[in-house]
Amino acid sequence: MNEDHERIEELLAGYALLGLSGEDAVEADRLLSDHVPSCPRCRDAVAGFQDVAGELALAAAPAAPPELLLPRIRRDVARIPLSRRRRAPVAAVAGVVAVVSLAGLSASLGNRVSRAEAQRGQLLEVMQVLGQSGADPVGLQSQGEPADGLVQVSRPGLERMYVFGRNVPAPAPGRAYQLWLGRDGRFVRVEGGMFVPDDGWVLLELTIDPTRFDEIMITEEAVGSVPSSPSSEGHVWHAFLAEAAA
Amino acid sequence: MQEGDRPDLELHRRLATGDREAFEELYGRHSAAAYGLARRVTAQDALAQDVVADSFLALWRTPEAYDPARGPFRTFFLSLVHHRAVDTVRREERLRRRTERVSNLELRTGEDVAEGVVEDAYVSGRRKEVRDALETLPPEQRRVVELAYFGGYTQARIAVELGIPVGTVKTRTLAAMRKLRRALYRED
Repeated sequence: MNEDHERIEELLAGYALLGLSGEDAVEADRLLSDHVPSCPRCRDAVAGFQDVAGELALAAAPAAPPELLLPRIRRDVARIPLSRRRRAPVAAVAGVVAVVSLAGLSASLGNRVSRAEAQRGQLLEVMQVLGQSGADPVGLQSQGEPADGLVQVSRPGLERMYVFGRNVPAPAPGRAYQLWLGRDGRFVRVEGGMFVPDDGWVLLELTIDPTRFDEIMITEEAVGSVPSSPSSEGHVWHAFLAEAAA
Repeated sequence: MQEGDRPDLELHRRLATGDREAFEELYGRHSAAAYGLARRVTAQDALAQDVVADSFLALWRTPEAYDPARGPFRTFFLSLVHHRAVDTVRREERLRRRTERVSNLELRTGEDVAEGVVEDAYVSGRRKEVRDALETLPPEQRRVVELAYFGGYTQARIAVELGIPVGTVKTRTLAAMRKLRRALYRED
């Protein structure tokens, strides 16, 4: 097992430096999803390597940014109404990543399939998307009422979509939530898109072109079922994807 | 949490309420480190400005993405900047191959704080510790860390650039990260 852990820690060290690609990245994602959460040694290694990576930033000499940068940021900030600022679930999201595979939609597993420490990387990605021009978080509505924090985030040109939320109620016993994407009123079930919130938290990452769809829906379905159309029983969240619909 | 990181906690708490003064104070405290890092990774001022602007904007839009329980705000924010800078470099790399960046990626651990940059004592001290820790690494280990972190290179690319097997890159990276961890966190 020692040899295995040496190999695993090699991958985790490369992961912390954002240095993995190809099969190594896939293998690290698998380990972060399947092995690390249950292995104290690897959890410790991930945390330690990420701490080191965070501190390495200080090795670069600081440099005063141009004076025009702050006014530029002020202008951008002024364009964001406070009501559009979203709460991101980093604080309590530990152990709460659901990553969706979209084989049926010609999409692939997200680049960072992970649990435990790797959520940080995914949430950083979400933040990066949020910070880019054109990004427009869309709040999902629950039966006419705003859901408490279920938000879809995407950006034109980025073939990735995130759904994250907090205080999401648990589905009824024997049922789970199913993600659907729609176009022109027709919904397609997202394969592998069945999930349950973990203590109220949800984070889904989809590698997909969001402009192919103009609606998103989450419904409550029987666990293990393969529904062909969205159910209206139980909780239902829905939103129009503004960028796609435009 | 070190004493030097505590002011960030209060600023972050205020930021979460939409306090723009707190946002600008955080900018004042971290923009130089962020810009220095982004410029180091992207090697272009314009790209570095985009990276820093996007990172602060992301912070403004989603301040709760930082969880104080997971470490200092500074580490969180600079990690965000680093991710964004590496993404930018790799995107640019796909557009045009860089040919000269490798030779420009020396660690330059003796670099001083640039004129006009004001740092608090804690950050200055920590910066010295990080640089000292890097200096203690064997050159071949330091090089792979440098190319990955500051160059945004994948391990496969590092192997090609240095003419060594990928397995050697992995071994050197792990050894370096373990040594850095021990040095920076005083672990036995």
